[in-house]
Amino acid sequence: MIAGALKTPIADARIQAPDTHTGDTPISPRGRLLVCDGLSKRFGAGTPALDNVTFSIDRPQLTVLLGSSGSGKTTLLRTIAGLVPLDAGRIEIAGAELTPASLARVRRRLGMVHQDFGLADRLTAAQNVMAGAAVNLAWPRLLFQAYPRGVRLRACELLAEVGFTENQANRKARELSGGQRQRVGIARALIGRPQLLLADEPVANLDPQTASGILSLMRAAVAAHGAGILCSLHQTDLACQFADRIIGLKAGRLVFDGSPAELTAETAAALFASATRDSDGGSDVSEPRQER
Amino acid sequence: MSEPEILQGRKPDAWHLKPPFDFRILVLCALAVCCLGYSAQRLDLGRLFSDVGAFFMASAGLKESSSIGEGISGLSGGMFPPVFDERTPVEYVDDLEARLARPFAHLETTATDQTSLDPGTLEIVTRQIETQVLVEPLGYLFLVLLKMLETVEIAIWATLFAVVASLPLSVLCARNYAPHLAIYAAARTFVSFLRSVPELISALFLVLAFGFGAIPGIVALALHSIGFLAKFFAEDIESADVRPQEAIAVTGAGPLAVLRLAVLPQVLPSFTALTLYILDRNVRMATVIGLVGAGGIGQELKGRFDMFQYDRVATLLLVIFLTVLLLDFLAARIRRVLL
Repeated sequence: MIAGALKTPIADARIQAPDTHTGDTPISPRGRLLVCDGLSKRFGAGTPALDNVTFSIDRPQLTVLLGSSGSGKTTLLRTIAGLVPLDAGRIEIAGAELTPASLARVRRRLGMVHQDFGLADRLTAAQNVMAGAAVNLAWPRLLFQAYPRGVRLRACELLAEVGFTENQANRKARELSGGQRQRVGIARALIGRPQLLLADEPVANLDPQTASGILSLMRAAVAAHGAGILCSLHQTDLACQFADRIIGLKAGRLVFDGSPAELTAETAAALFASATRDSDGGSDVSEPRQER
Repeated sequence: MSEPEILQGRKPDAWHLKPPFDFRILVLCALAVCCLGYSAQRLDLGRLFSDVGAFFMASAGLKESSSIGEGISGLSGGMFPPVFDERTPVEYVDDLEARLARPFAHLETTATDQTSLDPGTLEIVTRQIETQVLVEPLGYLFLVLLKMLETVEIAIWATLFAVVASLPLSVLCARNYAPHLAIYAAARTFVSFLRSVPELISALFLVLAFGFGAIPGIVALALHSIGFLAKFFAEDIESADVRPQEAIAVTGAGPLAVLRLAVLPQVLPSFTALTLYILDRNVRMATVIGLVGAGGIGQELKGRFDMFQYDRVATLLLVIFLTVLLLDFLAARIRRVLL
């Protein structure tokens, strides 16, 4: 099994930076990057977290899910990641439908970045990044965190790409600042060469300047790695500044889909206007943690 | 938030705030006091207070004697001074040459007067009898230290076996990683069973199975420690932060990878602390289970106690106390280095 793991290094060939991300042709020959068809989800008896959400992403670009807290952004991202089972609807990622049976296979095309980084605090930055490439690792290698040379190399490259020095790469995650942690999170999500990167409020815990840095990094990742990014935000200004496309969610319903230029001030204001009494304590806050 | 409109409607001077405690707690406390009173009567706790009172009155000179005072003075008289040396009459020593070669060992001649009635003269005569004694000044202490080492070894092996066995068991006992609900229930039941059997009891039975010595002690301690460690390891795994776990799982990695890369780094400090606690506890318990013949210093302690050699018991207790103190210090050092 060790030999098998050695023969399939993840970093045997770097994906050439595709220039298709600005063009119109879909990159995946098997189908579109992401298809969400009639997604519905309700937690308990409350208002639906997702209500018949339908959209698709056809090419690698930075798509921003814009909406207030409780609008269903987190639930949408978690259903796409297969962390929350759907009540109704269909998800297709790069041509493969997401079902309980295909979950492990489909997830190899995914990367995820979390609001609170989701790093293992006691591992170093580099170890955290390499943990994103643990899919094919045999258990003896796993036990000793002995990653193949290719993975180690790619982790170093990715860390350098997000602005880390060799010294910083060997620092424990808990010693890093918030912005550095999120950079590690992005590098970890990219190491598995995902076709789709899901980012759940990646800048919510960061100051505005660091937030801009992180979002420019993600924009650059779309170009450098050819990955589509679906990123949830609640800051309209950041969304307009960095997004290729904005999808507006309100109370679990898709209410806007278009380019930043098409998002008028009125639409944006309506997106955040409180329609229900408890719009600040919505469904993605009260969502119960799922078991794997 | 059941009636937010009403609450919002009231003026602040009419707001109703929750009291810090309510009537039910007072009733519960009164009930508890009643139960304790009944229990005290059943256990004859009054005697505790009268005896302790008598002891203090006796020490203050207000009472002639007290039962506790007599017990303590008898015991402390017997325990002081602790015995460190070993004195053996030469005729009982087989390998005199070898034992004399040990450090500080020497021969002493003691003379004892023996009075007897001379059958010829019918007079009482006193004769001096000289006996040669081999004196090893630290001989007994050395023996006790050897026994203590054996005890610590028993505890270390038991802890090692327990950690190795409870790591996989704890995964089956963690609700979020157990492969099936039935396996989870079975593992939890098994672990609870192990925890519910006290070491002393299982050691009693294991001595019958394995015979006297260290092995039943190791097994008895290990079984109980597995019950303890697996439960607490499992609870740590269950309460570990799910976000790092999700981040690894979303890449398509299996539960083993998630456990190793997202759960283990989180729970390792707690695992280490629990293991060190169990080691500390096993050292103390290993002395106790020696009482039923499961090896170590407890066996020696029981033997000396039964022979009323309280001065030797004092040496044993001293060594046990110092060892526990030393281990506590070492555990603190290890914890500081590891965490």
